[in-house]
Amino acid sequence: MLIEVDSLSVTYRSHGRDVRAVENVSLRVDARESFGLVGESGSGKSTILRAICGLAPISAGTIRINGTAVPTPRGRAFSRRVQMVFQDPYASLHPRHTIDRTLSEPLAIHGISGTDQRIMQALTDVGLPTSFRFRYPHQLSGGQRQRVAIARALMLEPEILLLDEPTSALDASVQAETLNLLSRLRTERGLTFLMVSHDLAVIDHMCDRILVMQNGQAVEELTRDALATAAMKTDYARSLFAASADRMLEG
Amino acid sequence: MTLLSVKNLRVTFDTEAGRVEAVRGVSFTLGRERLGIVGESGSGKTMTGRSVLRLIRPPGKIEADEMMFDGIDLLNIPESQMRSLRGPRIAMVMQDPKYSLNPVMRVGAQLMEGLRQRDRVSKAEAYTKAVAALTAVQIRDPERVMDAYPHELSGGMGQRVMIAMMLIPNPDLLIADEPTSALDVTVQAEVLAILDNLVKTRGMGLIFISHDLRLVARFCDRVLVMYKGKIVEELAAKDLMQAKHPYTQGLLNCLPRIGGTRGPLPGLDRNAAWAV
Repeated sequence: MLIEVDSLSVTYRSHGRDVRAVENVSLRVDARESFGLVGESGSGKSTILRAICGLAPISAGTIRINGTAVPTPRGRAFSRRVQMVFQDPYASLHPRHTIDRTLSEPLAIHGISGTDQRIMQALTDVGLPTSFRFRYPHQLSGGQRQRVAIARALMLEPEILLLDEPTSALDASVQAETLNLLSRLRTERGLTFLMVSHDLAVIDHMCDRILVMQNGQAVEELTRDALATAAMKTDYARSLFAASADRMLEG
Repeated sequence: MTLLSVKNLRVTFDTEAGRVEAVRGVSFTLGRERLGIVGESGSGKTMTGRSVLRLIRPPGKIEADEMMFDGIDLLNIPESQMRSLRGPRIAMVMQDPKYSLNPVMRVGAQLMEGLRQRDRVSKAEAYTKAVAALTAVQIRDPERVMDAYPHELSGGMGQRVMIAMMLIPNPDLLIADEPTSALDVTVQAEVLAILDNLVKTRGMGLIFISHDLRLVARFCDRVLVMYKGKIVEELAAKDLMQAKHPYTQGLLNCLPRIGGTRGPLPGLDRNAAWAV
């Protein structure tokens, strides 16, 4: 198992009271598998990704990558294996850094040479013209920015990509292009995806197995086939399925 | 009964780089019904919505052969009269609660501002009405939300606060610009149910702007599909699957489906000739 999360709990303190964002959630993701987390806002799905990256405080449980518990702080070795793509491409790129600077920073930190050639290759890989290299984020569209964010995550050639709603800020047509890009990169590089989305259709399109979450707890784990044939056991998973905009096409 | 009638609407921006035509000859009428406007970013759907409220800043210019709302000529009334229409008669829910709510003002104060300024009600009455509005959009603990700043709310809560704010003066026409794109499906369904209920019980007209064709079709009575500032197809929502125009078909097909093939999604075919 590449990613093992065992009885993970995340508790924040806010306004003097404890907020339990994630409670006792376990999941396992095999190498080269694509695993989806789905649920409503506040269900704790993004918090799990953030906890893996060390961006959320773990109050109980363990996270292991390839059998080894992750160190705190996560450190460079972790960054080379695990990278994250965030939801909002307008907020996740530094507005005053050029694309070149954004992409070269991880290389500089990790002392990797061949910056020039790697940046050109990264832009080509995500389907952006190399002339975008010295542009600023505000000169790009939302879809182009998300491509830059994906390119940035891939600069260190990680095995695992944590995808936090990578297309929910994008138009339907741009979403299709971005999902196609992610699928292609996964096949080409043998990546493992842990993907969060509130859109069941997107999760179904991208993932082999799905964990439905509600109020910080795991509700039900589903395979792709179980989802397609509406073979869910819990009421919540069923209501999520019924609320999916995709359902109207069946009518 | 026609609530709003728009004929040959054009929105143009004179920029240094030349004239940009954001909306090019859009015509539609709206009764007390739910009309959806769908298109990609840059198709002019938001500009169409904003034109109805004359909310386009210079150098943007609104021109039309006719823009009538309930017998009022929106093109020629003075700004002061337009201002009195905004809110009580025509309201707009903006896309992003992060940018549309005042970040340094408590939610309660923002909700009560209009009531205090416009309707001149007492502080206590404004508070009661604001709490009632929050309850109407199914916010569970309205008192806490009244006391919160916008950054303390989730996207779904923020969006509901904006809808509550727009509904307090009980408008005849609500223009909702991507009101649910920041929300996830279950909350989306709730917010849509709230809007739907308001259209039905208050007899409101609704213009629903979105890039998600399936959502619009599920929720609206009629759909306008826009491309490059023009309407390329108009159809009843129930006939969506029989859409003739390749652009409409493209918008439908590029969405992933549960139990679909999982192969690459078809890209959207864009042909400039469609919008000549």
